[in-house]
Order: sequence, then structure tokens, then C-alpha cells
Amino acid sequence: MKIILKTFLILIFVVSASLAQGFKVKASGEQTFNFEDKYKRNQATFFSTTPLEDITGVSNDVKGKVTFNVSDIKTLKGSISIPTASIKTGIDLRDEHLRSENWLDAANFPDITFFIKKVGDVKVSGDNKLEAKVTGDFSVHGVTKEVVADVTMTYLDANEQTQKKAPGDLLGVQAKFKIVLSDYDIDNMIVGQKVADDIEINANIFGSNAL
Amino acid sequence: MNSKQKIVLLTAAVLLIGIFIVWQASGGEVLSKDGIWVKKEMTELDKSLGLEPELEFQKKFVLGLLPHTAVISGVVVFISAGLFFVFRTKKDKEKK
Repeated sequence: MKIILKTFLILIFVVSASLAQGFKVKASGEQTFNFEDKYKRNQATFFSTTPLEDITGVSNDVKGKVTFNVSDIKTLKGSISIPTASIKTGIDLRDEHLRSENWLDAANFPDITFFIKKVGDVKVSGDNKLEAKVTGDFSVHGVTKEVVADVTMTYLDANEQTQKKAPGDLLGVQAKFKIVLSDYDIDNMIVGQKVADDIEINANIFGSNAL
Repeated sequence: MNSKQKIVLLTAAVLLIGIFIVWQASGGEVLSKDGIWVKKEMTELDKSLGLEPELEFQKKFVLGLLPHTAVISGVVVFISAGLFFVFRTKKDKEKK
């Protein structure tokens, strides 16, 4: 009976290990990547349309850490955030309006955060690259809603080239998702223009496990 | 319409067409802008990391319909109407 039980447990371990989807890189075990880049090269953007023009908002002040087991991306946890006041649209008056009480209310809600909850639909597209749907809690304007982001992650082992950008192994993350403004109690008028309710959000960031 | 009025009308039409062409050539934007977002050139490493080009704000005036093109066109129309009125002949005045 003991032998059957042991065999069964080993079988479960082997099957679950073979089902784990992750990176096939030099690193192993749990790794933590920090996305706070002192040169502000990480970027989160939003894109919106109004009847008169398209609006692009950009923040280069991305912060956050993620931790995962290299061989199983489903162990991913962590959060990414930007200070609300760091968003620039290219027009100072509009930026002021964006930070104001009527819009994002930066004084009362200083950060916009994505908190990772789970990872699904993992597609391995190379030894160091995979795509996944990452479900998380997105908080803005004091309201938190669950969103699903399409994420592409690329793992680069430390080498001469990566050292020029940052020390340690690097993780490149490209994430996209949409939110509905009215879900977050945000007025959709900005400097007299009606903004579309759907907003596209992108994160184009890299992190290092040596920061 | 006398010859001076014809010249005023023709000049106004040419100016308005010119303004329209300049506005279209500037991108035909509805609102004037002080700058634009441009995609920065990517390094090979960034491409290897699967990143997209970073956006960078470049200060550059972009002529839009509002307010600049509309205001300039309005001024042209206003001055042309004034000159058209000033260049009335005696005959025109007597008619009134």
C-alpha cells in the first residue's frame, strides 16, 4: 500500500512539474525583480480618444517588484505602481486637470497600482519568452477592480550587454489592458473635452534581480 | 463690385486657401499643440527584452484648427470685409 501511495505521489509531482510553464534560463528557483529604474527608462502609458484629438499620458516613474519561480510563471506575485502626479500628457493645463479632484485626484489617491493575483493562459514562445494573461487588482481614484492584462515577459541572463543597462538578470515586461473610466468614478470631461470611456493602458518596463 | 473690391476678395480667397494648405500640411490637427510624443529609437538589448519603443515628448509647435488657424482665418475675413466696405464706390454709396 505504501509503495502504491509513494508511486502515486511521485507521479503527481512529475506530472505537475512537467505542466509548470516557465523560463529555461541559467537562473533557477525564486527570483525577485525590481522595476524601479533610477534613469526613469520604464514607462507606463494610457491612450484615450476625444472627439477633437487623441490623448496620450505617460509616466516614467514606475515602481514595483515581482517574485516568481523561474520554472513556473504561475507563481508570479507582486505589484507595479506609478505616482498619479507623474502622468504627463504634453499639455501642462491638461496635466493639472488630470491631477485635480475632478479627475484622478492625485492629492487623495497618490498612486495607481496593479496588484498581481494570478497568471493564466501561459504560452511559451521561446526558452526565455512567454505570453500570459495576468489577472490583478487595478486601483485608481480610490477604486479597485479586477482586470486581465495581456503580458509578454522576456528573461535575459546577465551578460556584457545587459550589464550596460542594469546589473543582474533582466526581465522585460510588456503589458496591455483596458479599463472603463466610469467603473472608477472618474469624470470623463477633461479641459472641456469628452474623453472616451474606454482607456487603454500599457506598461513597457524592465526589472533587475540585482537592484 | 469694383476692381479694388475684386482684388480684396481675390487676396482674401488666396490667403484662406494658403492657410488651409499650411494647416493640412501641418497634419490637419484639430487642436494646436506645443509638442508631440515621438517613439525613441530602440537598442538591440531593448528589442531582446521584448520592449516597445519608449515615448519621448518633443517640443514642437503643431498648427491646429483651434485656435490658431481659425483665428488667423477670422482676422483675414474681418480685414477683407472692412476693406471691401471701405472700397465702395460713390455709386454703391448712393444706392444705399
